[in-house]
Amino acid sequence: MNQAEILEVLSAKLHAGEITRRQFMQAAAFFGLGVGIAPVAASAAPRQRGRTLQPLNQEAGEVRFLIAEAFPDTWDPYQHTIQAQSRIQEQIFDTLWKIESTDISQLTPGLAESWTQVDDVTIECKLRQGVTFHNGQPFTAADVKASIERASGATAEETVKALSMVPTTVEIIDDFTVRLKTAEPFAPIYTEIATLPILSAADIQPSSDPSTPPAGLETLKTSPNGTGPFRLVSNEKDRKVMEANPNYWDGAPTIQTLIWEYIIDPQTRLNALLAGQAHVLDRVPPEHLPVLQSNPNIELISNTGFENVNLWMRMDAPPPWDYANVKLREAIMWGIDRQAIVTALVQGASEVSVTHLPNHGLYAKPQEPAYTFDLERARAAKAEAGFPNDGEPELPLWGVAGFLPRGEEVAEAIVDSLSQVGFKVALQITDVAAIIDGLFSPDKPGVFFHLSWSSNGDPNAALKTLYHSPGAWTGANDATIDELIDRGNATVDQEQRRAIFEELQAYLWQNLVHIPLYNSDFTIAHVKNLTGLIALPNFSTRFHKAALT
Amino acid sequence: MSSYILQRTIQMVIVIFGVVTVTFFAIRLVPGDPARLMERPGTSEEVIKQTRQRLGTDKPLSVQYVNFLKDLVRGDLGTSFRGNRPVREAVLEALPNTFALGAVTMVITTVLSFVIGIGAALRPNSLLDRIALVFVAIAQATPSYWLGVVLVLIFSIRLGWLPAIDLEGPASFVLPTITLTISLMPLLIRAVRQGFIEALGEGFVRAGRARGLSERRLLFVHVMKVAAIPLITLVGLEAGYVLGGAVVIESIFNWPGIGLMALLAIQQRDFPVVQGTVLAIAVVFTLVNFLVDLTYAALDPRVKY
Repeated sequence: MNQAEILEVLSAKLHAGEITRRQFMQAAAFFGLGVGIAPVAASAAPRQRGRTLQPLNQEAGEVRFLIAEAFPDTWDPYQHTIQAQSRIQEQIFDTLWKIESTDISQLTPGLAESWTQVDDVTIECKLRQGVTFHNGQPFTAADVKASIERASGATAEETVKALSMVPTTVEIIDDFTVRLKTAEPFAPIYTEIATLPILSAADIQPSSDPSTPPAGLETLKTSPNGTGPFRLVSNEKDRKVMEANPNYWDGAPTIQTLIWEYIIDPQTRLNALLAGQAHVLDRVPPEHLPVLQSNPNIELISNTGFENVNLWMRMDAPPPWDYANVKLREAIMWGIDRQAIVTALVQGASEVSVTHLPNHGLYAKPQEPAYTFDLERARAAKAEAGFPNDGEPELPLWGVAGFLPRGEEVAEAIVDSLSQVGFKVALQITDVAAIIDGLFSPDKPGVFFHLSWSSNGDPNAALKTLYHSPGAWTGANDATIDELIDRGNATVDQEQRRAIFEELQAYLWQNLVHIPLYNSDFTIAHVKNLTGLIALPNFSTRFHKAALT
Repeated sequence: MSSYILQRTIQMVIVIFGVVTVTFFAIRLVPGDPARLMERPGTSEEVIKQTRQRLGTDKPLSVQYVNFLKDLVRGDLGTSFRGNRPVREAVLEALPNTFALGAVTMVITTVLSFVIGIGAALRPNSLLDRIALVFVAIAQATPSYWLGVVLVLIFSIRLGWLPAIDLEGPASFVLPTITLTISLMPLLIRAVRQGFIEALGEGFVRAGRARGLSERRLLFVHVMKVAAIPLITLVGLEAGYVLGGAVVIESIFNWPGIGLMALLAIQQRDFPVVQGTVLAIAVVFTLVNFLVDLTYAALDPRVKY
């Protein structure tokens, strides 16, 4: 019986005199509160904004971009790994060089006009002159030194960015020449610097007292001061308004006002785009693709993202799911129809994973066997692992609702497949908050987690956090993996580095550290009269050269 | 009357206290550590611990609860875990948007339901009655989230007449109001129709007709008084629902109200905002019902407080 029917029954009883008005109120009030609160508890969805919006002003060059991920609580670019924030930072901050194509080894100049590899541990950069921060302060080598040293962990301050870097010191040759130095060779430095926003030294300069944070840091958390094409003018929790930087060194943007807004419900985002209340939206779900593809006023930019969706495994799980028991994981690999999941559920530009690196990332090499769906081989591998009977062992799997596209359906398809193999799958569907809590719980519940990991496409970013010990997310502790990642990162010669990471990919595939499922589709939809928008597999979305025609 | 108001006020405080207490513990018992959500992947346990200390979630639940109550008594709903914005300020900003949508919806719903319901009751089994019942059946079986999307498709996307999302001005009220109205009307139409049919069959109606009272006076004075009084309770409950934040509708139309605020806060485990929004919803709901009781007493001479 639904809520309306309950009320109707109560109402009829009241009219018939079977219950008193007070009894009616008591019963219905309970229900009535439920109307307000139950959907709140039941849904892990939308958003809040206590404000009245102004209509879009297209003639004035206003562009509204609706995104699918919430912003974090800080503008400090070195202290988070939130994809949405990294993307919006590209509009406000500059980096020394940029990646603007699908080939991540192709770098284009940013605040550095040119650079030279002096030796294995030194890069000399010639900086751009005449650049100013949004607050009018001139950009110099001191800003590069303060930014890179702080971000990379070369100062006393701990940063998130430092986790994917090595401490990098900056020697100032003159106001517009610097040398970046690492204690040992660090090959991923180019892709890491390409995503390292340069801040004003005044905002982050260490104070004389090491225990006191820099004076400008608190301001930086709410008022980002970059040299980028747009400057932040309004900083609501879910809505960021930027204005064009008229003095931008690479030419002022045509878009005068750029709005990034978090609306988690994909249907609401779609409605807004089709009704002309937004110009761009991202993370188009597969069910919306036909509608958008058939609309003559809409264009799509689709990429296979540098995002690996896996069944993450606790690499420190107890038997029978211990890391050494690879045969059980082979049974899972043979037993999941990954191609069917991609074709029927995830769709778009998603692809079945052929390696643990992103399929189109640096040094990615398809691995063998390809693990096409084969129930017989799955059953054989399970029996070989010591579990010939149906219903054993139990396979604890956590799925997440409202996060990955069709995440619940994919998890259910996996359960169905693995049940045919003979596993007893214990599926628990929860929301993002709960799955993160579970992942880090000291009790270590669950063994497999249906989650994703996105990166800039370099093996360092794609693999280190997950598989290098101490694996905070996975409990990784494998000396071979550690050695190969460390050696690969320390090898500057590209071909040698490729060979090392090919060896690592083969090792990861052989040991099936995670069950690789697919690489995500990353599709952006935009109105046709918005030109010049750049969207890349690393989820970079650049509006600088975009324009409404 | 004043003792009744005092008594009801105390009851309301108890209800609200119960709601915020249940909410306080429920949101904390659901898995999902806000400190973990706020920090980066791989953050050391030491930093997570410091974040918990900063948020106050490291303390025992009982201590957190006592602190929460102390702040509540002072009118302090705390600050959001995200953005450090005072919750009271955010709630007070969102409430008028919800109230505006709720008020418009309730006026239209009530007027239309009474007109259709009375019309149907006056001529049972007539064409109007049958149309009304078909409408009721269809509307009752139509999920509001589906209806909202269909209305957007027709009036915003195809025809381009009305905004699909946001609160941009009077035109923005049209689609969410229609969606809410259609979902609320069936129950009220049925109740009005049934109430009037029953009242029209009462002896006092026949007596009135015998005394030569006009049909209009009979209907809008005598019958209305008898039939409408129980309906006030129903209208009050529906008003409590929409004024307390029609969550699904606010989500579909990206309406910057209290329901939407609660949803996001739950997703992000923003405890103070969840508590603040649920408190606001509880207060609105109990107040509306209190007003309904007072209206009841004013209209029905048999009810004495």
